[in-house]
Parts: sequence; structure tokens; C-alpha cells
Amino acid sequence: MGSSIRWKTTLPLAILCAFLLLFPKLVGSYFLHLAVSGILAMILASSWDILARTGQVSVGQAGLFGIGAYSSALLYQRYALPPVLGMLAGALIATFVSIFLGYLTLRLRGIYFSITTIAFAEALTVIWLMTPDITGGAMGVSTPPLFGGDREKAYYLILAILAAVVAVVWLIEQSRLNFAFTAIRENEDVANVLGINPTKYKVLAFMISAFFTGFAGGFYSHYNTYIIPYEVFNLGVSIACLVMPIFGGLYTIAGPILGTVLIKAIEEYLRVTFSYGHQIAYGLILVLVVLFMPEGLLGLWRGKILPLFRSRPGR
Amino acid sequence: MDWPSFFQSIANGVLIAGLYASVTLGLTLVLGVMGIVNFAHGELVMLGAYSTFWLFTMLGIDPLLSIAITAPLLFLVGIFVYRFTIRPILKDPPLNQLLLTLGLSIFLQNLAMILWKTDSRSVITSYSGMSLHLGMVHVGATRLITFAISVALTAVLIVFLHKMRLGKAMRAVSENNTGSWLVGINVQKTYMLAFGVACALAGVSGSLVSTIMYTYPMVGFKLSLKAFCILILGGLGNISGALLGSLVLGLTESFVGTYVPEGSGWAEGISFFLIIVVLIIKPTGLAGTRRE
Repeated sequence: MGSSIRWKTTLPLAILCAFLLLFPKLVGSYFLHLAVSGILAMILASSWDILARTGQVSVGQAGLFGIGAYSSALLYQRYALPPVLGMLAGALIATFVSIFLGYLTLRLRGIYFSITTIAFAEALTVIWLMTPDITGGAMGVSTPPLFGGDREKAYYLILAILAAVVAVVWLIEQSRLNFAFTAIRENEDVANVLGINPTKYKVLAFMISAFFTGFAGGFYSHYNTYIIPYEVFNLGVSIACLVMPIFGGLYTIAGPILGTVLIKAIEEYLRVTFSYGHQIAYGLILVLVVLFMPEGLLGLWRGKILPLFRSRPGR
Repeated sequence: MDWPSFFQSIANGVLIAGLYASVTLGLTLVLGVMGIVNFAHGELVMLGAYSTFWLFTMLGIDPLLSIAITAPLLFLVGIFVYRFTIRPILKDPPLNQLLLTLGLSIFLQNLAMILWKTDSRSVITSYSGMSLHLGMVHVGATRLITFAISVALTAVLIVFLHKMRLGKAMRAVSENNTGSWLVGINVQKTYMLAFGVACALAGVSGSLVSTIMYTYPMVGFKLSLKAFCILILGGLGNISGALLGSLVLGLTESFVGTYVPEGSGWAEGISFFLIIVVLIIKPTGLAGTRRE
């Protein structure tokens, strides 16, 4: 019995991995580009979800994304730092900022934390626009195409980062961290009484989240070859980070990834239909999820759809 | 000391504070009565501004007269939004309420982009360019009128909340909703009307916004963030705090705009910097709060 259950999970996973590894050989340039931007979004979604596990709902991930993007692009422009190292540097700088921000916002709960994170991302936009000598200002920063424009290499790099995020989330779920995060999310005061230090775990979750969000930002700047403050610090980035995991199902490995696949598909369709406002789907999905499916798609699957198949007597 | 520019800064700050106060009042009403921070409040203001713009462009209705249309229109929008989105989540945790109203906000921003593109539009009336000279200070006619309307609106709201039956019911519900229910107040209906009145206030603010700012899909979100800053400065859910907070923000922006090099650019960020600094120093806002 045990081995058959193992097969049930490992076989589809192995097929999925093989498919992801062979993907660039199977499709053309357009779909490869979609896959790269989809995987980038999955990284952002999963990173947001790690932070959300401690009950901190960030609406300012764009701030960390933009810091990663700009660090990487500016380090290339000024010091010719190789892009992959630049991404790593961007991730580390975003992590450093998150330690600072994490300690400062520690006492803020619920909606106050969310509002502060929005203000953080918006404040960065203003700082960037007002200090063009350092940041490039409204004109932005451009870099040469990543790997000389080889999308296949870019795909494997971003896939590796996604694998790292999934591995980290898996490790969190296997370790005591999961209990600490959940306890803090459910009731911070009780967690404190139980001997869990909320400060330590909240800042740690923020750091992990910021590291991957910053790396994703660095990757984006080189892959896209051009960044401007209005785009990387945009509210839309922060919204995307939170809607995808909420849609898919919070505090899970598969939820943020599933949510991203579906939302990106809808968004791509809308992008072709409307020249502006394709994020309308994000707003609508957020409203519908809160009203009708608070546990997201995974919750809907487990609670409503699976029982339909199971509860038929005599079959 | 350059006195004319000093007094001019004060005048500009006070006048813009009137508009900020009118935006914040509706947010304060919903927060005070229902305990919900409505992220979509700015978008309702944006809808009011676009309504005013189209009434002016297509029918030639004066933006200030169109208040008589935008207020009832947004009241109805508010009742609709309340009935189908807010009412089902009244008892939900605050974070669900945040996500729902944030979702509404994103939905309306993008709807505006789809319907009206991202162009900045402005309402230019026969009196738009006029200004008055009061001693050393120049005051634009539209700014003065919007300020006067904001002050009148605040006065009406205060009288409504303190003298009229429905207003008193709203205050009672904000103090204690179970107690209000026990003395025979229909709490659900009071919530609905409070939300509707807040949206009508957003409609009026929208008409005012269209006369002194550009109207574009993100204008509401910018104003929401300023209103959050004001709430945090003035304390959540009380009117006098909202007025004081508006003055502080308006004057700070105005003085930074005048006295800091490239100040008008930095002034845009003042509300964000204030939110961060104030919350870090005092996590529940400067004046404290009754509710989480």
C-alpha cells in the first residue's frame, strides 16, 4: 500500500519535471517567453505566500522587486557586474532592506502593516524619480539582453530559482518553522506565551520572501533589458504577488503555482483584448475569492469537487 | 524672511487640505461606523470625478452644479456595492475586508482604464483661470470654491451625525452595535445607509477633484493613500482628527513644495514618508484608536 501511494505522488512529479526540463525543445519563442514570465510570477507568488504564513499581508512586494531589479541593473551599468551575480546581489540587498523594514514594522498588525508596505513601495518610486543622478530617474536603466538574448538559458535559470523556492517552502513545511509561522499567524500573543519569538520568525519570513522577490527583480531587469521606476515599483506588481496565491490557495506549495498559471492565462488573453486595464481580472478574482471561495482553488477542489466523486454510493 | 511666499504656502496648504478632508470624511464614516478601512473609497472619488467630467463635456453641466447628480449617483453605487460585496463580509476578519476592498479598488481602476484610457482629463470652466488677491496672497477661484464646499460638507456631516435621527443611529452603532440593536436600531440598514452616505461624499469629492486636479484612472488611489496618511495622523474614525490630519498633510506638502529644492516632486511623497514614520513611532496612529 505504502509504495503505491508513493508512486501516486512521485510519478506525476517526475513527469512534470521531465516536461519542464524538455519544455524549451518543444515550443517556439513566444511560448518560451510566456513560460519565463509565468515562472517569474510563480516565484513572486510563492515568496509572498512565505511571508503571509506569518500573518503579514504585504501589499508592497513591488518595493523589494524594484530594489532587486535596480541593484542588479545599476551594478551592471556602473561596475559591469555579471548579470547572474547582479541578481544575487539584488536578492541580498532586498534581503537587507527587508531586515530593516521587518524590524521597523514589527509592532504593526493587520491592516497597518499592509498600508505601510504600500507606502514603502510608493515612497521608493518618489525617491527614484527625484534622484536621477543615482537611480537613472524617470528615464530608467537599460542593460544588454540576458545571455545574449538566449531565452533557453534564461528559462533554465529562472526554472532553477523556482525549484529553489519550492524546495525552501517544502523545507519550511517539514520543519518546526511551519508550527512557529502558523502559531504567529493564528494568534501572535498566544505564540509569544508558548515560547515562540514572533520577532525572530516574522523577520526571517520577511527575509526569505525578500530574497527571492529581489532575485526575481534582478532577473526581470536583465531579461527585459529595460526598467523604469513606474513599472518595477508599480502597485500592479504588488497586487499580482498577492492575488495569485490567494486565488490558488494560501499556505501551500501548489496553491500559488496553480493560481499563477490560471491568472497568467487569463491576463494574457485580456492583454490581447484590451490595450489597458488587463489587471481588471486581478481585482475581480480577489473580490470573488474573498466572497465565495476563501480557501482558493485548492480549497474548492478539496471541499467541493473531490467529495462529488467520492460520495457516490455503489460505485 | 520672504513673507509673501510664506503666506502663499499657508494658503495653498489650507485650501488643498479642504479637498483632502472631503475625501477622508467618507473613509472616516465607514471606518467609524463599520470598522472597515475601505481601500476602494478613492476609486469612488475617481468615479465621481469622471462623472463630473463627462457631464461637463457632453452636456455642458457646470462641475459644481453636477454635485447634485454625482452625490445621489454615487449613493446608489454605494448601496449596490454594500449589498453585494460588503454585507457578506461584515463579520469576517479585518484582513478579508482589506482584500475585498483592495480587490474592488483594483477592479475599478482597471475598469476606468478600459473605458476611458489612461489620459489625464481636466475640466476647464469659464472661471477656472480666475484668481483673487487677498493681501499678499493669490488664491485661485476654483480652489477657493472647492474649499468652501468642503467646509460646508463637513458642517453638514457634523450636524447630520449629531442632530438627525439617522446620524445619531450611526453614532450609536459605531459605539456599540449590539446595544443599538437592543434599543431598536436596525443595524444592517444603518450600515447600508452609512456606506451610501460615505459614497455620496466620495461623489462630491470627485466633483471637486475634477475642477482642481487632472482626472485619470489612478487619481483615486493617490487620494486614498493621502487619506490613509490623514487617518493615521489624526486617529482612526473621528471627524476632528480627520480635519486636523488634512491640515497637517496639506501644509506639510505645501511647505515642502515651496522651500525644499525640487520640492513639488518630493511633496508627492510626503504622505508615504509620513505613513511610515508615524506608524513606526506609534503603531496605532498618532491619536490612537478604539478599534483594531
